[in-house]
Amino acid sequence: MASMLFRTIQTHPFLLYPTTLLRRNNAVLYCTLKSAHTQTAAQEEQQKPPQIKGSPQTRQAKTKTLDKISKDYETIIGIETHVQLSTLTKAFCSCPYNYGTQPNTSICPICMGLPGALPVLNSKVIEFAVKLGLALNCKLSLNSKFDRKQYFYPDLPKGYQISQFDIPIATGGYLDVDLPVEFGGGHRRFGVTRVDLNRAGVPLLEIVSEPDMRTGLEAAEYAAELQRLVRYLGVSNGNMQEGSLRCDVNVSIRPVGQLKFGTKVEIKNLNSFSSINRAIDFEIARQALLHSQGEDDQIVQETRLWEEGSQKTVTMRKKEGLADYRYFPEPDIPEVILMKEYVDSIQSSLPELPEMKRRRYEKMGLSMQDVLFLANDINVAQFFDATIANGADVKLAANWIMGDIAAYMKNEKLTINDIELTPEELAELIASIKSATISGKIGKEILFELMAKGGTVNGIIKEKNLVQIVDPSEIEKMVDKVLSENPKQLEQYRGGKTKLQGFFAGQVMKISKGKANPGLLNKILLEKLNAKC
Amino acid sequence: MGSRGLLLLKGATPKHQILNFGRTTAFTPKLPIYFHHKLCNYSTTTRSSLEPPDVPRLAETARISLTPTEVEEFAPKIRQVIGWFGQLQAVDLNSVDPAIRADTETDNVRDDTPETFNNREAVIAAIPSYEEPYIKVPKVLNKE
Repeated sequence: MASMLFRTIQTHPFLLYPTTLLRRNNAVLYCTLKSAHTQTAAQEEQQKPPQIKGSPQTRQAKTKTLDKISKDYETIIGIETHVQLSTLTKAFCSCPYNYGTQPNTSICPICMGLPGALPVLNSKVIEFAVKLGLALNCKLSLNSKFDRKQYFYPDLPKGYQISQFDIPIATGGYLDVDLPVEFGGGHRRFGVTRVDLNRAGVPLLEIVSEPDMRTGLEAAEYAAELQRLVRYLGVSNGNMQEGSLRCDVNVSIRPVGQLKFGTKVEIKNLNSFSSINRAIDFEIARQALLHSQGEDDQIVQETRLWEEGSQKTVTMRKKEGLADYRYFPEPDIPEVILMKEYVDSIQSSLPELPEMKRRRYEKMGLSMQDVLFLANDINVAQFFDATIANGADVKLAANWIMGDIAAYMKNEKLTINDIELTPEELAELIASIKSATISGKIGKEILFELMAKGGTVNGIIKEKNLVQIVDPSEIEKMVDKVLSENPKQLEQYRGGKTKLQGFFAGQVMKISKGKANPGLLNKILLEKLNAKC
Repeated sequence: MGSRGLLLLKGATPKHQILNFGRTTAFTPKLPIYFHHKLCNYSTTTRSSLEPPDVPRLAETARISLTPTEVEEFAPKIRQVIGWFGQLQAVDLNSVDPAIRADTETDNVRDDTPETFNNREAVIAAIPSYEEPYIKVPKVLNKE
């Protein structure tokens, strides 16, 4: 299964990446990719420019180096992701778990590893694992078990972690990812070898990818998609800053044509998608440099740390051979048996996943940029879905959300759930503009009021008397008034300075307090202006 | 110690089969989930004794310091224990379906309902070295 996936993917890069063919003589395309205006991993890259070596020149130089490297070396990247499950209690005891609580307050004999205390598995952990396994298109093991992984660590009182070793709960899945690239949006499918239940105390799911990724951007986007997935499923908050989603990345390079894999280096301390992206690109460059200087023996199997400050990876610990965890089946936890009905009921209750949502939005006729933005955040997607469920035009709803609403949220540092505007009212607003009850300009004003204070479109229209003036005779009166008040400009207009039409339109709009229907206004204005010529 | 391997083949069919390395004719490597495990090694050459334990290494992995005299003293004892377990290798398992686990108990899970342990003071009091609010532990990292 795994190798089959691997091969499928191997054939893709050239099809999906027109740039790989062009890189030879065009480094700029790679830059385009970095600055793509989309709201995913690449966007974050944009918002958080590297503090030190962020000047365009160095970035470009770096890009050129990477282009040259990709010609001579093949990079192989695999990611191990730990997802902390958002259960109320720990994995093996009923101690509540909340991020940021005082040290050693939520403890009991079980999680303290006191003699005689027996762990009992949290059923929610299994449920979440099954959910994620199914969402990742994995094959589930209906019978799986826990094992003891023995090692010493300060926060591991028992001296072993209750984990899954040889029979993980889910294997052989894949994750579809849309790369946020402007030129066509590449679509990649990355293999996932196993999802396993892991680590005592707080429940973690470990997701091990196949070594399918080739660039920092692909790896970052894989991680971003995993984050989206766990948030859509509600199994984790996916917050990288809190460590609820941790990615360890394995990177190795080999000269093109070499069969043997290069020595792989593990990178830890990756706290954002952009650091995943940059750490990998740094590591590729570092290893390629050693290769090109004939010092590839200096690439050793080790764990390196990404230093955000210096934008470098540095040695954390070198591994002397493989750690001997002396796994054996955990005697305190019985076999985990999943009933088919149980799995089926979870399968049927799965929400629409990011990939499905994106494809659905695409079919609605939205652009790739709209699709990636709207589907990126489950809450935004739900808001959008609710808006169009209330009858709003798809493209107009997308424009309002991505435009004024997104800008407002960004300025006020609010999420879409924090704003007072409801999807129903957004739909109403769009409908009111479409039906010409209010003008677009007034609509915008109402929108900001709705976002800040709530209320209803109709309420605000009534309260502020904002209904658009569509009565031609009323508009005619206003036009007459403006024309009579500005005889000088009227003369100039009739003398050939027709640009003044804008001036008159503005004046009429002003006295109508923005309520005059612009189409009618211009029609009547033109008639009047040109009447006596 | 790691010279033998137990191979559990779990195919797509619910019927399990246990095989050893010597009779791989029945082994079709289609969808195998297999594990080989050091402590429950299954011998292909059932009679031969298990590899003698490397006591100094064992002690090191358990973070126990032993004097050379103790190493000499413990080695035969540990070997004896392993010998007892070794007797299990003689059991004929050809007609037995392999199990993931020995017990048959299932459905022993709990609901995700928080409960605060009500005798935290006793737990804290039993900590050998406690410095409010942290527990101090011996240095175990980067020992090498």
